[in-house]
Amino acid sequence: MLRRLLLALLTLWLLSVLIFAGGHLLPGNVGRAMLGPFADPVAVQVLNHEMGTDRPVVVQYADWIAGFLTGDLGQSYAYRSPVAPFLVTALLNSAKLAAVAFVLVVPLGIFGGVVAALYRGRAADRILSVVGLSATVVPEFVSGIVLILIFGVWLRWFPISATWRGDAGPFTQLYHLILPSIPLVLILFGYIARMARAGTINALDADYTRTAILKGLSYPQVIWRHVLRNALLPTISVIATQTVYLIGGLVVIEILFHYQGIGSLIFTAAKKKDFPMLQAGVMAIGALFALTTFLADLLYARLNPRIRFADQK
Amino acid sequence: MTINHKLLDILRRGRSPHENHLIDGLVREAVSRREFLRYGSVLGLSAPLLGGIVGAVGYGLTPAAVVAGTPGGTVRYGQIVPAAAINPVTVADGGGVTMLSQFGETLVLSAPDLSAQPLLAESWAPNADGTVWTFKLRQNVKFHNGQALTADDVVATFDRLADPANGSNALSVFTGILSKGNTKKVDDHTVEFHLDAANGNFPYAVSTDNYNAIIVPADFPADYEATMIGTGPFKLEKYTPKVGASFVRNPDYWGTPALPDRIEVVFYDDYQPQILALQGGDIDVIQQLPVLQAVGLLTDPSVTIISIPSSAHSQVHMRNDVDLYKDKRVRQAIALTLDRPKIVAGLMRGKAQVGNDSPFMAAYPSTDPSVPQRQQDIAQAKQLMEAAGVAAGFQATLTTEKYLEIPDYAVLLQNAVKEIGIDMQLNIMDQGAYYGDAVPGKSQWLDSELGITDYGHRGVPNVFLQAPLLSSGTWNAAHFNNPDYDALVKSYVAALDVEAQRATAGQIQTLLLDQTPLIQAYFYDFLTVTKADLKGVVATAMGHLLLAQASL
Repeated sequence: MLRRLLLALLTLWLLSVLIFAGGHLLPGNVGRAMLGPFADPVAVQVLNHEMGTDRPVVVQYADWIAGFLTGDLGQSYAYRSPVAPFLVTALLNSAKLAAVAFVLVVPLGIFGGVVAALYRGRAADRILSVVGLSATVVPEFVSGIVLILIFGVWLRWFPISATWRGDAGPFTQLYHLILPSIPLVLILFGYIARMARAGTINALDADYTRTAILKGLSYPQVIWRHVLRNALLPTISVIATQTVYLIGGLVVIEILFHYQGIGSLIFTAAKKKDFPMLQAGVMAIGALFALTTFLADLLYARLNPRIRFADQK
Repeated sequence: MTINHKLLDILRRGRSPHENHLIDGLVREAVSRREFLRYGSVLGLSAPLLGGIVGAVGYGLTPAAVVAGTPGGTVRYGQIVPAAAINPVTVADGGGVTMLSQFGETLVLSAPDLSAQPLLAESWAPNADGTVWTFKLRQNVKFHNGQALTADDVVATFDRLADPANGSNALSVFTGILSKGNTKKVDDHTVEFHLDAANGNFPYAVSTDNYNAIIVPADFPADYEATMIGTGPFKLEKYTPKVGASFVRNPDYWGTPALPDRIEVVFYDDYQPQILALQGGDIDVIQQLPVLQAVGLLTDPSVTIISIPSSAHSQVHMRNDVDLYKDKRVRQAIALTLDRPKIVAGLMRGKAQVGNDSPFMAAYPSTDPSVPQRQQDIAQAKQLMEAAGVAAGFQATLTTEKYLEIPDYAVLLQNAVKEIGIDMQLNIMDQGAYYGDAVPGKSQWLDSELGITDYGHRGVPNVFLQAPLLSSGTWNAAHFNNPDYDALVKSYVAALDVEAQRATAGQIQTLLLDQTPLIQAYFYDFLTVTKADLKGVVATAMGHLLLAQASL
């Protein structure tokens, strides 16, 4: 476990070097990007000096990473104010949207997959597989626009913007998040359901299942105790990686539904060359990825005795 | 047209030679009524006086259509998220300009018809040669913090904007015109601007056209964004960076009080979500939409599209100092391949005005309308190519940015020049990569042999005539170097009255048509979209959105 942790830290450090170098290798300088192509050269120079972006890249990196390690995420170039509050708000917003989508799609996906496996080859299986697969290949900007047009513009059941007013309570927030979470559910349902179906089929065919049936356990007991426990192992690692996607990869959904999440934060920061914001955003996603993978490993070990005991040896 | 000479003589009394010259122009019909009103306003003649003179010369006055709106309510509008902090000194992007226009006011308003209207200045006048301009300020103006506006605030505002040490975005307007320390207080409500060189259009440099020039208190706070103190009809209630803002009616406003109780601003990263939000009733106004994005709304009866002709355009530059385009006949031939009315009707869905390869678009009053419009003429283009010794054509590369309709325009140009044997490759890149460091040697924009660049709106053509075309111009992508041109522009900029400006403009237009360093095939219209039942919205092509008289 300690080795895994160290490996995660090393990955994060590499990520910090990559993202920093990537940003600074892009053409164009920061002051110019802030002020636009038509701004006065003197003004650009003054701004670059003010922000410290006229210093050597190595010095800037050292300065940034030192601040980062002590909890100072730096100042946004664009907004001339600390990055941290922007990042925290965006992460929180993203987490809320991800949570709504997660709560909807995980039970649905697993239930669908298990049902498809139990009725393997029959109508229910076919329908679930085809619907799931078709939903997965529809890009989220297509399903998103269709949903907005039907439920937002035409029927007016749901608000078009996922952003709620400042003082909205939890239910209003949930109301705003339902429409944008549906495209995510559509994309992930097929994926999770397929994993769950494959895992369940494997487990159903396994010797221990036959043994369990032969020793006289009732069918629901077999499914619940023996099949599901083993069937869901691969599904868990899939869900873990998708969690990061749900939080950090939703640029299109966030822009379409006008939501201030981490995806759109990183996207606009990259467009505007707001490096401190971009770096902090990417590092946050990186840390989140490391964390969820680590947690998934723990959960996996908890459910799979083979790994748990191998680790203890 | 009957001229009331007696009345006219009374009105002429005490007028300066420039003003009388303009009145002569109106009497001789060398200047139209509309141009007279516009230039009279630039010279600082008051509106009643202008009206009196127009009446005396025999023009009927069109009564201003005043629609009384209903006070109250909240107007919600969407705009692109500002790119940076809301600081009047540094704002350089459209989103920031729109925000400034909610709470701040300049000395002069450059109205949608491009006339100069009094705002915080009551009146203004130049000295005899146009090097010193004196502005009289309104007496009863208060900042949102209750402090009275005086000449000290105006002097401090302009010294701050003209100081290169502040990273001021207004330097692109003030360089060569106004230096730090040259804005002088005469008394509490009079200010003099001592210019670096004579300038007949100076009022536009302190108007909404120079959006950074909103008047702010002399003791400018470091965290300006937290208060946004200005003099406008609305004052800040709440601002959340990246999300939006709200403004409430300013009860101490000097002018007609605002109709809406509140303005709610919602920031968007893109246009599509704004269109959906308008259709779904989340917002009442979209501050600006590019033509290509607005296509779906053009025939929608539930919205009103406010369309203002602007001088914003995409200019094609051809490097005058490289072998391929050194010969002006080649440059002319390329310009002759374009079918401009078709581009306006097709590419721009009719929401643009045809251009004549100079910055003088038809809507500028100083434009000489007698200069013939360049039309598509493939036969002549082929002859020119033959005369230049490249009858068989050549291979060319067009470098440009991925922005608005430019990639589509590039394809149209690529197809058009096929007619004269030019095989054009397109190199279309991200905006940041295209502009690069915006200095020669480090910028595709300024280094490429052939390229297309977008230019934003300006109320007067001065910037377009100078930076991209003067031999010393900082944005001279065409590497155009023509002493005759430089001299003509200098006299155009110094000219104080519309007749002299137009005479020089005619020469400049003719010279640019002959030399063709740039192709300006069309000028965009600026589109603002509102719900059909929302009245009284005023927008400028610069990006201001004025909602004080809006009513639902």
